[in-house]
Amino acid sequence: MHSPELLKGTLQTIILKVLKDHGKMYGYEITQRVKHLSEGRISLTEGALYPALHRMEADGILTTETVNIGKRVRKYYALTTEGKAMAKSRVAEFVDFIDTMRQVLQLKTS
Amino acid sequence: MAQLSDEHIAYIEKDLFTRGVVYDGLHEELVDHICAAVEEKIASGMRFYEAYEEVIHAFGDTNGLWTVQHNVIQSKPNRMLKSYLRIAFRNHMKNKFHTIINIVGLAIGISTCMIITRFVLHELSYDRFHENADRIYRVDTEIRLGNVHHNLALGSSALAGHFRAIYPEIESAVRIWDWGYRTVSLPDQSATFSENVMWGDSTFFEVFTVPLLEGNAASVLDEANTVAISQTMADKFFPGERAMGKTIVIDGTDYRVTGIFKNLPANSHIRFDMLRSIVGLEDAKIGSLIGGAQLSLYLLLRPDADPRQLEAKFPDFVNEHVAPQLSAIMPENFTMDTFLSEGNTWTYTLTPLADIHLYSNKDAELDANGSITYVYLFSAIAAFILFIACINFMNLSTARSSDRAKEVGIRKVMGSLRSHLVRQFLVESLVLSLTAFLLAVGLAQLFLPVFNALSLKDISLPFDDWRLYVALVIGALVVGVLAGLYPSLYLSRFSMIGVLKGSPSVSSNTFVRNGLVVFQFVISIFLIIATISIRRQLTYAQNMRIGFDRDQVVVVHDTDQLGNQVDAFKDAVLRNSFIVSGTISGFLPVENGARNKNTFWPEGRVPTGEDVNYMVSMQMWSVDPYYLETLGISLKSGRNFSPERPSDSGQSLILNEAAVQKFGFGDDAIGKKVSMFTGTHADGTPDLNSIKTMQVIGVIHNFHFESVRRNIEPLALAVDKSTSGVAFRFSGTDPHKVLSTIETTWNKMAPDQPFRYSFLDEDLARMYREEKRLGTIFAIFAGLAILIACLGLFALVSYTAERRTKEIGIRKTLGATVGSIVLMLCVGYGRLIVVAFVLAAPIARYAVNWWLSGYAYRTTIGIPVYLITGVVAFVIAMITISYQSLRAARANPARSLRSE
Repeated sequence: MHSPELLKGTLQTIILKVLKDHGKMYGYEITQRVKHLSEGRISLTEGALYPALHRMEADGILTTETVNIGKRVRKYYALTTEGKAMAKSRVAEFVDFIDTMRQVLQLKTS
Repeated sequence: MAQLSDEHIAYIEKDLFTRGVVYDGLHEELVDHICAAVEEKIASGMRFYEAYEEVIHAFGDTNGLWTVQHNVIQSKPNRMLKSYLRIAFRNHMKNKFHTIINIVGLAIGISTCMIITRFVLHELSYDRFHENADRIYRVDTEIRLGNVHHNLALGSSALAGHFRAIYPEIESAVRIWDWGYRTVSLPDQSATFSENVMWGDSTFFEVFTVPLLEGNAASVLDEANTVAISQTMADKFFPGERAMGKTIVIDGTDYRVTGIFKNLPANSHIRFDMLRSIVGLEDAKIGSLIGGAQLSLYLLLRPDADPRQLEAKFPDFVNEHVAPQLSAIMPENFTMDTFLSEGNTWTYTLTPLADIHLYSNKDAELDANGSITYVYLFSAIAAFILFIACINFMNLSTARSSDRAKEVGIRKVMGSLRSHLVRQFLVESLVLSLTAFLLAVGLAQLFLPVFNALSLKDISLPFDDWRLYVALVIGALVVGVLAGLYPSLYLSRFSMIGVLKGSPSVSSNTFVRNGLVVFQFVISIFLIIATISIRRQLTYAQNMRIGFDRDQVVVVHDTDQLGNQVDAFKDAVLRNSFIVSGTISGFLPVENGARNKNTFWPEGRVPTGEDVNYMVSMQMWSVDPYYLETLGISLKSGRNFSPERPSDSGQSLILNEAAVQKFGFGDDAIGKKVSMFTGTHADGTPDLNSIKTMQVIGVIHNFHFESVRRNIEPLALAVDKSTSGVAFRFSGTDPHKVLSTIETTWNKMAPDQPFRYSFLDEDLARMYREEKRLGTIFAIFAGLAILIACLGLFALVSYTAERRTKEIGIRKTLGATVGSIVLMLCVGYGRLIVVAFVLAAPIARYAVNWWLSGYAYRTTIGIPVYLITGVVAFVIAMITISYQSLRAARANPARSLRSE
């Protein structure tokens, strides 16, 4: 399990990338997808995920769509055009960041 | 994957609520999230409750849930308003019925308030547009001489010169002399017009802020036979050409136009369309202070002058200048001290310009002034109606908020959300109040014409004035905040545990709410009683024995235009069979500002010294021998004037009862003689040597010739020429035929003069116009007040019925009849109306008696009026209540009880 401290700055990037690859998703689905992709090493806490989702929605990066499932209401999140552009740049930025970190930490390229 | 059953989902929903996850949107989202997680755990073999416990534990239990919620709320502080608004709209839409009643009630109240405020501001703005308004004062004269009492809004023409010469604090003086409407024409044209022309000093345009569009304010009326005309007049008489320097004919004399002024605004008590120079007017040059020209006299004081100090100097002036003139007509041993010690007065006072419209009600005012009483009265009504509407608004909000008590209680569990809750309530009530204000502007705009027609004003909403918008926004905020604050503060007082157990303590709230309902009905009942009383008084006054037959009399005005053809005109009209009789006289028994009182005394007394007490101030009307017959005035004793007795003209008098009483003639007035002055000296003082004595030949019953507010004053009729009016009594029912016949005759004899007529009964009705207006306005306000109060009651009862649905259902299953349930619901509110009536009746009685005391002849408002009002209010309230009660009582109990 990675420490939450390390994840802090990357939460938005993760959400953007996951949504970019899978289209619309709901909150629980996102946590499960990330868990699956990271083979259980990254677990998004709800306490961080939902505020982030709501803020991104408010900022116009995400759109939402609610669907009634029986007695339940499911809220799907998807990227807006702005969000899609952002996903691209954020991922690129992050790759750049990892390269920089490699240099800083003097790691060999694998 | 396993699907959770509806029961399980409901369980989760409820549990999350209890744990305090209430934030709109997030609650549903978390329910779904948790359901999904639980379903996955169940799929791997867990039982529901175990799975749920584990999922919640993963969240960090209740604290973890709160943190999520808190962070979500914190994550978008800038978007909160939008979310509040959305929730507010959603809540309002959920309760359309309450929302509409709330908005409409408040909007009616606000629009009424807006219209009245405009009216009050208009009244208060009178004469304040003059730049020197705070330095301009009118000179008033009060004279008490024996029985003669004058309280005049006038000063002697000669005072202007005296005052300016003596008192350095006076910067300038303006004389204005109103002779009523004058005949105006153009030099070489025969058409004549009746225009509002006054005499005035040239200083008018310097002292008062009436801008001259053309001409020089300093010298415009310096020369004799010059006139300044208004823009309207310039356009009327000289359309498309330059009016300056042109000649205009007023009363047969040529005047040169030397100035064109901007039309006087509606809020000026001085109103004329033409002002002609007083310079050449001989009548205004009379030097007497006690006789001669009495006219409107305005003083402009220097900025540092104190009007009270100036006023204090006037008694010395009277001693020095008026006393010598008085002594000339008084007994030899006249001194000012004895004059005053006998109860006589001769006083000059100053009335500030801005006070004239609302506070001054003297004889010979330039304008029919308003009254500060009405301004207060209307302001109070506006405040009442607005108050009722606001109470409703608050009442409904509070009533509805107890529905949400549970939600509130749960939300309160999370201390951090308390302020969020208050904000939510405030936004909800602000949305309503803003909507109501918008609607109110529309309503006010719609009903302003109605109000204008009623009040004879020309009031509009100043849409180009930013202050209107500021006032509207501030008003909406204040009402919204006040109405929203009470419910939210009241709710935050709720004991959390009590609310969650399902028993919010609402008893104190009910008390306040009932108190407010009582208050609303106190005001409504008061206004209804006031309305009925005003109507009663009006009917009483109009149907009172007015002493003459006002029906089927047509009056032709301005007959002096006919010159010496007046008699021929009358005879020609009389030739028609449907004209019963006709009389030539400018004096008719309707209010007329142009009539003067003169001094009379029983023959043998002298109009000086101690005999001053026998003097009677009385109007004397010039009539012809057919006057009594045409107007249907009946003789009490003696005889009528007779055309066969030439001696009647100039030697005989007919008195009314009031005059007989004033002279102290008792029952044998016939044959008594009455004296009067017939001449004046050159300076205007009465000539003691020219006295005329006339004999009383008849006494007529009192009849009203002034407002019914006043006592009937002494009146004498004498045969004399007065050709400014001719009255005809006609028979038959078609007044149009009568009119067209008379007009044909008129056009034959005076083809160029306008035919002006009126019906006597209509003229008379005009005398009651003010009362009638007051009555109608009151009726409308009372109607509005009770409408708003009932709207509130209606909504409140429907709310109560809703809350007691279950109780009603149980009662019905236990055998209660529809009637008994309706009764049960009605009794509670019925009691409130009774309490309101008990409170309102004494207040109304006091107020009505106070108002009636202003009338010389007044009706009595008996107990039945109060009882009827009480019953009407009660019935209206019961109808309102029973509709909702019936609906609640008729509902099928199976439906209301099933859900439990």
